[in-house]
Amino acid sequence: MKKEFKVSEFVQEWGVLIAFVLFSIFVFVKFPDVFHNPLTWRNLFSQNVDVGLIALGMTMVIIGGGIDLSVGSMLALTGVLGLSFLNRQMGSGSESSAVLLSALGMVGIGGVLGAINGVIITKFRVVPFVATLVGLLVFRSLALAYANGGTITSSSKNEWAKVALTGVTLPVGKAGMLIPWSVFVLIAVALFLGFLLNWTPFGRHLVAVGSNERAAKYSAISVDRVRLWTYTILGLCVGLAAWVASARLNSVTSTTLGQLYELDAIAAVVIGGTALSGGKGRIWGTFIGVLLLGMITTTLVAAGVSGYWQGVVKGGIILVAVLISRGKREN
Amino acid sequence: MVRLECQGVVKEYPGVRALGGISLDFREGEVHGIIGENGAGKSTLMKILSGVEEPTEGTVSVAGSLTKLKNVRDGMEAGIAMIHQELNLVDHLSVAENIFLGREIAVGPKLNRREMNELAAQYLADVKSDAKPTDLVGSLPLAQQQLVEIAKALSCNADVLIMDEPTAVLSEREKSALFKLVKRLKSEGKAIILVSHLLGELIANCDRISVLRDGEFVATVQASEINEHELANMMVGRELGDLFPVKSTPTTEKTLLQSNSLQVRAGEVLGFAGLIGSGRTELWEEICGLRPGEQSQSKNYAESISNGVVYVSEDRKGAGLHLEFSVQDNIVLPWLGKFGKVVTNRKEVQTCAEGWKEKLSIRVPTVASRVGSLSGGNQQKVSLSKWLEGNPEVIILDEPTRGVDVGSKAQIYEIIAQLASQGKGVVVISSEMQELIGLCHRVVVMRDQSFAGELEGEEITEQAMMKLAAGVQSA
Repeated sequence: MKKEFKVSEFVQEWGVLIAFVLFSIFVFVKFPDVFHNPLTWRNLFSQNVDVGLIALGMTMVIIGGGIDLSVGSMLALTGVLGLSFLNRQMGSGSESSAVLLSALGMVGIGGVLGAINGVIITKFRVVPFVATLVGLLVFRSLALAYANGGTITSSSKNEWAKVALTGVTLPVGKAGMLIPWSVFVLIAVALFLGFLLNWTPFGRHLVAVGSNERAAKYSAISVDRVRLWTYTILGLCVGLAAWVASARLNSVTSTTLGQLYELDAIAAVVIGGTALSGGKGRIWGTFIGVLLLGMITTTLVAAGVSGYWQGVVKGGIILVAVLISRGKREN
Repeated sequence: MVRLECQGVVKEYPGVRALGGISLDFREGEVHGIIGENGAGKSTLMKILSGVEEPTEGTVSVAGSLTKLKNVRDGMEAGIAMIHQELNLVDHLSVAENIFLGREIAVGPKLNRREMNELAAQYLADVKSDAKPTDLVGSLPLAQQQLVEIAKALSCNADVLIMDEPTAVLSEREKSALFKLVKRLKSEGKAIILVSHLLGELIANCDRISVLRDGEFVATVQASEINEHELANMMVGRELGDLFPVKSTPTTEKTLLQSNSLQVRAGEVLGFAGLIGSGRTELWEEICGLRPGEQSQSKNYAESISNGVVYVSEDRKGAGLHLEFSVQDNIVLPWLGKFGKVVTNRKEVQTCAEGWKEKLSIRVPTVASRVGSLSGGNQQKVSLSKWLEGNPEVIILDEPTRGVDVGSKAQIYEIIAQLASQGKGVVVISSEMQELIGLCHRVVVMRDQSFAGELEGEEITEQAMMKLAAGVQSA
């Protein structure tokens, strides 16, 4: 069985990367004002950290054959709970310890909410679409009720915002270019999940569960435990996203934070070449998928296209991505 | 020494008593065959012995001591490995990852891919597989996947190996390699349980054979003291007439279907032999318009049906039937237009299905019963009814008796002979050579997606077919 080189297979495997590179070259040439500025590229990363974190966690869930529609609402709920915890802590004790505790608290709250989804799905046998649709409604509603439909603002003067507003300064341009810590968080999570997926027994079990649940069960793998973990991991990612987002904005608005994030996250996963049917997927693909989506938004703005058209362009890209990754249609 | 023993094992599912008190023992250095019709309880018993299911009553002992096998892990730890009838592999993992699934070798948190690949290569060599440890399982042909499944069981280093229909998808060459391996494992002191419905295979390779019928134990016999005929009678519980009906002589020379050099004539049974992957199924799916290709006689299957050419799939559960549908809904599905243009006349549907139930003696409480609850033989009869309802001229039967018990087999052979004597053209694609010899007027042998030769009448023998299928030059 010699491996022949096939263009279709090559495109299927590397499609998202090829698309990203070609698109980068295109915008670099076509919109020099915008894309010759390194800040544009920086922003591409820094503005998409929260969606990116969620999309990375979502990749794990989707590989396991699941889906999570509740992430946007979960982000808002985690955000309002976390920030009000921060504000309460600020009253007692030092600012830095309050910030640290609250950041950990947010990640913890996200993990718990994710685990709740996981338990409903695995123990009560509710299909993931329905279980997380319930989460979408309930989490948002709880966030609204808790914040009275309003915005909770961080009372930390500058410590809380540090993760999004300070970082490493690269020697680019006169003043240098700041890469915020949040970007490193995103990269670290991507590396960690990539390792988890490809290089650990858990990762192999996850692929097995998503690809052929029966075979996984007959290989003495606890299917429920693997699935529960994927939702918990996603919840932890949402917690990190809530931390980063609330730091960037210095506040959480219960009505709007995270709205439609579930769709952006799922879109990035699909564009990255992960199969919605489960069992096949990759973290790096999702990472590129997030950047590609972000770049499209930036380009549309640069080209002066009305925001109303964004959906059409993004939708078209998703369709093309799915057509490519599915490969030649089998009968 | 007795490696594994079950005593008074009963298994009840809601409304069904699958096993009614089975006591058997499996000894070191012995191949113990288990035979029975479909639905006799073979697979259920194996699931209990390997820990997939727990018995309702009764006990299992491993190496002399009572052991509760609550799940697959318990079974593995007790040294019992099972090769499942339906492939239990993950398409998106590599061969090595599949072999070690659930028992990965890791250094700290990180997989040790190199060691897994090296060990996997040894097990693959043991089963004479051409697959590489790094190949994706989904890219391998079915027979290779079966060998990977066997390698996976070997890698557990188990004392007891349960093989549930291991040869169903293997070619003759791979079968003989498998049985050589079985002999070696036996000499190493393993206890091997071989579940099969192929009488000859069991007699040739087992020391003892136990017969199950309707969930009850019938007898355990020495393989050396029994022949196929006696064994079949024990299995079915009645005297089996000759399995194959008399071949009728075609009365006309009329050709019903022509595709390049291939002809299907009225009143004949045309056999298609060849190894797995030789392209038999693909050729006929192409001819029927089920897959695109040069051979297509119709642009889609609907056109083929209206031309009177129907195809009964080898994959009953996947492509042949809707398991969740009732018997009647399955039978009328392609012909719903006949039962009312807008609203389907349920009464007529029921009458039609009852007609087929009668004609093909489908054993089912009512035609409203779910097809998924039927035995393989009865499912196949429903599948036949579904396509015969359209009164076709040419019927293509792909592995018509796979997973079908002996009793139903004889009935299906009878139906095939009848169809031919009514002047229909019947194409039988089969991996069971006895079947082709017993049924067919002509046999086309395929190799590597093309015709290797054609045999007629007395020329149809196992040796002749094998030679053509394997590409051996006759001296």
